Amino acid sequence: MATNYYLPEDSTPLPPKNAEVLTTCCDYCIVACGYKVYRWPLGAPNGGVKASENAFNVDFPTGPLQAWVAPNQHNIVMHQGKPVNVVVVPDKDADVVNIGGDSSMRGGCIAQKCYNPKTPTRDRLTTPLVRINGTLQPVPWDFALDIAAEVAKHVIANHGANAYSVKTYSYQYVENTYAISKFARRNINTAAFTFHDTPSDVTSTPGFRDAGFDNFGPSYKDWGDAEVLMINGTDPYETKTMIFTQFIKPAIDAGQKTIWLNPRETAGVAYARSKGPDQTIHFQLYPGTDVPLVGAIIRVILENGWQDKEWIKKWVNNKWESSSGFGQGTRNTPWQWRTTWGKFQTKGFEDYKKWNLAQKEFDPKVAAKIAGVNVKDIYKAAEWLAKPKADGARPKSSFGIEKGFYWSNNTGNTNAISALAITCGAGGRPGQMVGRFGGHQRGGTGGGKYPRNKSPEKVPGRRRRALDTDRYLYSGHTRMAHVIGTTWIQSMCGSQGLNAKFEELVSNNPHQTRGWEKQSIIDTLKARADSGGMVVINQDIYLRDPIGSRYADIVFPAATWGEEDFVRANGERRIRLYQKFYDAPGDAKPDWWIIAQLAKRMGFSGYDWKNSNEVCEESSRFSRGNRKAYHMIKVAAHREGKTLHQKLAEMGTTGIQGPTFYNYATGELTGSVRLHDTTLTEAQIKREGRTQGANMVNKKTTHFNSQTGKQNIQKHPWSLFSDYWTWLKPKGDELWHSNGRINEIWQSGFDDVERRPYVTQRWPENWVEIHPDDAKARGIESGDQVMLYSNRVPASKDTIKGVFGNDFQFSELMKNGHIELSEAAVTAVAVVTDNVKKGVLYSNMLDIRQPTNALQGRVVDSISGNYNYKMGVARIKKLGESPYKKEFRSMSFALRNIV
Amino acid sequence: MTDLKQKDETAADHGKCMLNRRQFLMYSGSAAAAATTISINLFPGTAQAAQAKARVVGYPRKKIGTLRGLNDNQPVDFSYPDDEQNSQCMLVKMGGAKAGGGIGPQRDVVAFSYLCTHQGGFMMGKYQAVGPHRVLGQCPLHLSTYDLTRHGIIVSGQAYQSLPQVLLELDGDDIYAVGMMGLIFGRDKNLMET
Repeated sequence: MATNYYLPEDSTPLPPKNAEVLTTCCDYCIVACGYKVYRWPLGAPNGGVKASENAFNVDFPTGPLQAWVAPNQHNIVMHQGKPVNVVVVPDKDADVVNIGGDSSMRGGCIAQKCYNPKTPTRDRLTTPLVRINGTLQPVPWDFALDIAAEVAKHVIANHGANAYSVKTYSYQYVENTYAISKFARRNINTAAFTFHDTPSDVTSTPGFRDAGFDNFGPSYKDWGDAEVLMINGTDPYETKTMIFTQFIKPAIDAGQKTIWLNPRETAGVAYARSKGPDQTIHFQLYPGTDVPLVGAIIRVILENGWQDKEWIKKWVNNKWESSSGFGQGTRNTPWQWRTTWGKFQTKGFEDYKKWNLAQKEFDPKVAAKIAGVNVKDIYKAAEWLAKPKADGARPKSSFGIEKGFYWSNNTGNTNAISALAITCGAGGRPGQMVGRFGGHQRGGTGGGKYPRNKSPEKVPGRRRRALDTDRYLYSGHTRMAHVIGTTWIQSMCGSQGLNAKFEELVSNNPHQTRGWEKQSIIDTLKARADSGGMVVINQDIYLRDPIGSRYADIVFPAATWGEEDFVRANGERRIRLYQKFYDAPGDAKPDWWIIAQLAKRMGFSGYDWKNSNEVCEESSRFSRGNRKAYHMIKVAAHREGKTLHQKLAEMGTTGIQGPTFYNYATGELTGSVRLHDTTLTEAQIKREGRTQGANMVNKKTTHFNSQTGKQNIQKHPWSLFSDYWTWLKPKGDELWHSNGRINEIWQSGFDDVERRPYVTQRWPENWVEIHPDDAKARGIESGDQVMLYSNRVPASKDTIKGVFGNDFQFSELMKNGHIELSEAAVTAVAVVTDNVKKGVLYSNMLDIRQPTNALQGRVVDSISGNYNYKMGVARIKKLGESPYKKEFRSMSFALRNIV
Repeated sequence: MTDLKQKDETAADHGKCMLNRRQFLMYSGSAAAAATTISINLFPGTAQAAQAKARVVGYPRKKIGTLRGLNDNQPVDFSYPDDEQNSQCMLVKMGGAKAGGGIGPQRDVVAFSYLCTHQGGFMMGKYQAVGPHRVLGQCPLHLSTYDLTRHGIIVSGQAYQSLPQVLLELDGDDIYAVGMMGLIFGRDKNLMET
């Protein structure tokens, strides 16, 4: 239907018996459910309702949990130049991840992602564009690539590699990320390189890294096998649905206790709470107060002597081990790179205990007051997590975190939860694991090393820190910005200030392309870079505003999911092939191809790939030793006379969990259920042939990622963050402002919420949840159009070198004039609900037109360099009534926590 | 659509109103018998305004209850559009909560399929009136909830489409089911070939 409005249909075609079947996985969240694509020519007979007449082999109508095709699961696309029907449905034969063919509504409707000019996908980019006289105009590939390459060479030669900034997704398939990082890091060798979700290329969870935990050690089953599960800063039901509905919900139904840290009560939290206070604790805390709360839970455990003493004795580094090691010892471990001495490191568990008991904020009463929670729940949580049972057995406790937690006080929170997990003996046994639940899928393979020594940033101590690309651009050093599959601007913090800088450097620069000759365009763009301005090239599937539509000088159209064979891993390191099943629109090409053409023109070698399998095969050796190591799949494939992609295609939606191992004697390929698996026996390792040939065994499979292979228990001082938190804390009629995802939306506007009428209808624009008391005090009702605004958006503006220990501390930056305050304003539709804590606002994480990151502080975590995206304040006032307030068609203001 | 007036309460006036509702109810490209084909302007005055062929498909007209027989917030079960598999539906007077597609003096009488459009979970007994909100759910399988005041739009959850709404007509005190918007879970067509 050629309309952006949702019109329910009352029929849908069934795939016929002879439909071709291909496997893929969902393109969206970390969980990566397995899907089947049924394809048959348009005009050929559809399947019938009898089992003998359709590809599902079932009689229609079907019953609960059986195969079905919702109208949103059918589309018409081009395949080899001819129109075909495709039905994309969760794989009913799946025995992993989405077992039995379950799915979220995001993935469930993914057939609508496919390019079809009769749907709102009609504005896919189909040809390269070059801005001439202010307008992006279609040009041939050679024309656009020649310009980009010439200007890039000029910028690098005249302004240095760091003047060429590459801002890219980290996740969109190993073939693309390998090509991009090979180009940017190995060949151009720019330190101005980072990913979509951080201003600099730094670890997302510093506390996990330093404790020795991989982010994705657990298998999904471990979450369900825990007796007590602590879920921090997310509701998995909302954003990684299958982890909840397939693994956690059945566990809750069987009596699993859950402890949630979340300012909101969403549907998953509400479901858990419906089991009563003897099974569920919901800490509905104020943003950023996790450190005192978690510290207090640990204190109660310590005071009662409930820590896992055996585990600690065997698996936690003591004083000597904490400082041991050659090359990976104390002088060369990440916590020393990131900080001055002694802020985190302990001399073992007793030293940590002493420190914890001395922190005044970890007194449960004090912590409860800071966090705004019930102090009794702190004692209850400690008991659930760690108190041995009557028979002496310990409860199996697991700990999962996500961005609400690690983007609130990045270093402090991840250190604190690691300390709690270690105290409870978690991290290395089935059902007793620690990890991220995950955001994007894991599709990164490094094609080159990040040149940290070329970064001008230095933290106190001796180490350089990865370059902050936002501040570097803001201070005018970036002459060419190469932006791949991200908005850059709205997805960063304090984004309206960043936008103003782009406008100044790009649009307001006098050197704008006016000529028609290729050379004159090249000369103009070179002149812009030389004059202190900036040239922007953008690879994406849609023209995004403003990065593409307002700032890009050159736009390259990318091919994406379903339009090329790609490989990627999910949140339990499960590696699958995402098969091509239809033609990319127009002249759109995969990012690896675009990068290869550009690289060759710039004089780099090693880009003569003929297809994505060749890229994947070249990249595999760079995956060796990492959590999704797929190199041995290639070894197995080649021994069987197949390509890597062919071998993975055979494994369908089941795939294999990395790291992978190959037994040269038996020809068997095996995966890894979990990392840090201390229960893994030598006999099993031998049986799987892990020590032979090209197999690579390292610490992370059986031990932890630390200098000794044991866990580091670290301090998590509140004082490192409390100055920022206290400064930010709402003043006057301000409220806390946090943002994040909501179940029905995955994409930040380019896919589902803007181009899927069913989703657009549910969430037609940005929204903000506000507690009824806060709403009443401001005369706001559900459906009112409101303004969120602030004149207290702090932003770091300078690239500075740290000399003294606390130079990067917020209060010092403020005192020394390195922070400027700016204003931001974002509109939204109010949703009045007691889902959200009183005093806290919660809005969509990234509506392209109303980007709420504008309100969040553009101040990085002083230790790690990540933004604390979830921290901001705003005032809110009613502008009038939105059309959704009284109509029945779009939006809903019904409570999301009705069970 | 947002401002339905009382005047179409009579059966005679209802015909005019039906077009308004059927414009989103009855759009179908299927081969089902088309009773009438009417050209309508879907969204006048918007950027998306478009002429579309609305097919008023041959759904049965079936008496499913009386206004007087309904108690506030107590759903009544019925089958529609046939008595075959997956035809279980509910009719409810939502205690004065005005609804899209609602009939009766308070526009609060609506009817929906009982089957969750995610995986076919059966939601009988899951009607809930909480403050001004009227929802069906959480579905016992995967916790989806639907807003019954807004054409069965998803509130929170995993469903692939809104909950199919049964189109109602009022004739005196008698309530008739006359159509359905949205595909019923488990079917390839709402109107099965016999």
